[in-house]
Amino acid sequence: MAAVDLPLPGVAGRPGTGPGPGVITVDAGGACSLRVFDAGLACCGVEVAAALRRSGALAAATAGNQLNVFVVAGTVTDKLAPYVLEAFQDTPLPRRVLSFGACANSGGPYWDSYCVTKGVDQFIPVDVYVPGCPPRPEALLAGLALVLRAGD
Amino acid sequence: MTPEEIIAAVSGGLPPEVRCEADHRGAALRVPPGHWLAALAFAHDRLDCDFFDWLTGVDEEDEGFSVVVHVYSLAGRHHVLLVAPLPRSAPRLPTATGIYRGAAWHERETHEMFGIGFDGHPHLVPLLLPDGFEGHPLRKDFVLAARAAKEWPGVKEPAARALPRTRRPGPPHVPRGWGP
Amino acid sequence: MTGGTPPAGGPPAESPPAESPPAESPPAGGLPADSLPARSRGVIALLEENCTVCMLCARECPDWCIYIESHQEPVPGAEYGGDDPARAPAGRGRQRVRNVLDRFAIDFSLCMYCGICVEACPYDALFWSPEFSYAETDIADLTHEQGRLREWMWTVPPPPALEEGQRPPRD
Repeated sequence: MAAVDLPLPGVAGRPGTGPGPGVITVDAGGACSLRVFDAGLACCGVEVAAALRRSGALAAATAGNQLNVFVVAGTVTDKLAPYVLEAFQDTPLPRRVLSFGACANSGGPYWDSYCVTKGVDQFIPVDVYVPGCPPRPEALLAGLALVLRAGD
Repeated sequence: MTPEEIIAAVSGGLPPEVRCEADHRGAALRVPPGHWLAALAFAHDRLDCDFFDWLTGVDEEDEGFSVVVHVYSLAGRHHVLLVAPLPRSAPRLPTATGIYRGAAWHERETHEMFGIGFDGHPHLVPLLLPDGFEGHPLRKDFVLAARAAKEWPGVKEPAARALPRTRRPGPPHVPRGWGP
Repeated sequence: MTGGTPPAGGPPAESPPAESPPAESPPAGGLPADSLPARSRGVIALLEENCTVCMLCARECPDWCIYIESHQEPVPGAEYGGDDPARAPAGRGRQRVRNVLDRFAIDFSLCMYCGICVEACPYDALFWSPEFSYAETDIADLTHEQGRLREWMWTVPPPPALEEGQRPPRD
């Protein structure tokens, strides 16, 4: 069966007009703009995608300083942990880490599993923890606002 | 195929050691390991089961392990479950990848989770577990370390007399032998 | 029994608009609470007056994220025989005791918001609240103690209107 070529996501149904996969710029009111790198590992990834799609300023909003936020959304398994660490190390400075959802905070409902890392803060430093299972998309925006407040 | 047709086909095409039960959904075949490949080939060729759904293992405790395969016939719209009981001491089965290519990853997962060997598998290495993981997690005697180590919050009754450990209530789904 | 919540008559259940209008800057507080659906699960609130420390919530929680500590105290004035100890039959009966809550904490970094604790509580001491913006910079702050759980009570909405054909609750 031949591979299917899917168009890149776009704004308002126009394919290819959106940003590349994984990086969305959020205009945080002019003082600083956030570039959000979303590691959408599991169900929480859908909520992050919804949040960023609704409120990201998809045009190049580079007002003020640019801060890179590495969002870990979803369950981190022991097998995937080295790659999450690599993705974190590849995030350019200045960077913050936002842990989204119960699984990324502490292992969540899978804290007892034989193969789940009990929280992404076991191996990368986390700045903000957003609780929820999954948190609402608006909770991500509140968490990003806390990243800005805490970083000052 | 109707249940009667399935039973007739099985009794005609497979040795009598293979026991078959059929209902309106399909059939469940209990296959001794020696006839495993023959039963799979029969399901594929004679029962038209061209869709491989899953392969997994079951820890039957005293009765050893079983490997269960679920295949489906798209044309005939019937399901076939094949169950192979295996001894606990040496659980080995020939690989199903010769008949159903899609079984490759399922057999890798069953191998790492239960310790069941699949002879003839092209690449039987762990699929989901990290390198260096010891043990077979889905066996019933595998202790879930996190539940054993963390104290159950429900054990703190208001009348906090220090009950001896044997009389202390435990969490409902954690076996007694797991404690520190 | 329900601790004073008004009977059904709150705002009718309605779903939020499918697409929020794009904002110049993301709102810090998120959606106003009355645009969230009825029975939204945001955070769990504790009404301590209703709690008898039966510990069913802590036992039923699948994540083991409710931590309760308590002790027992004799109930003053409830000695066998009432006010006149001379009437107490010798050698029989015992002092009535009551459970006192020392610590009730829910660890929201583990919580999966299943609601089993709220359903299991026989005394309606736990309530759902739709508040969702309580992100923290320190994971230890995600364990909410009694005081904070009581503060969430002020955000618990009244129960939604009865749906058509639904029988009213007995109490």
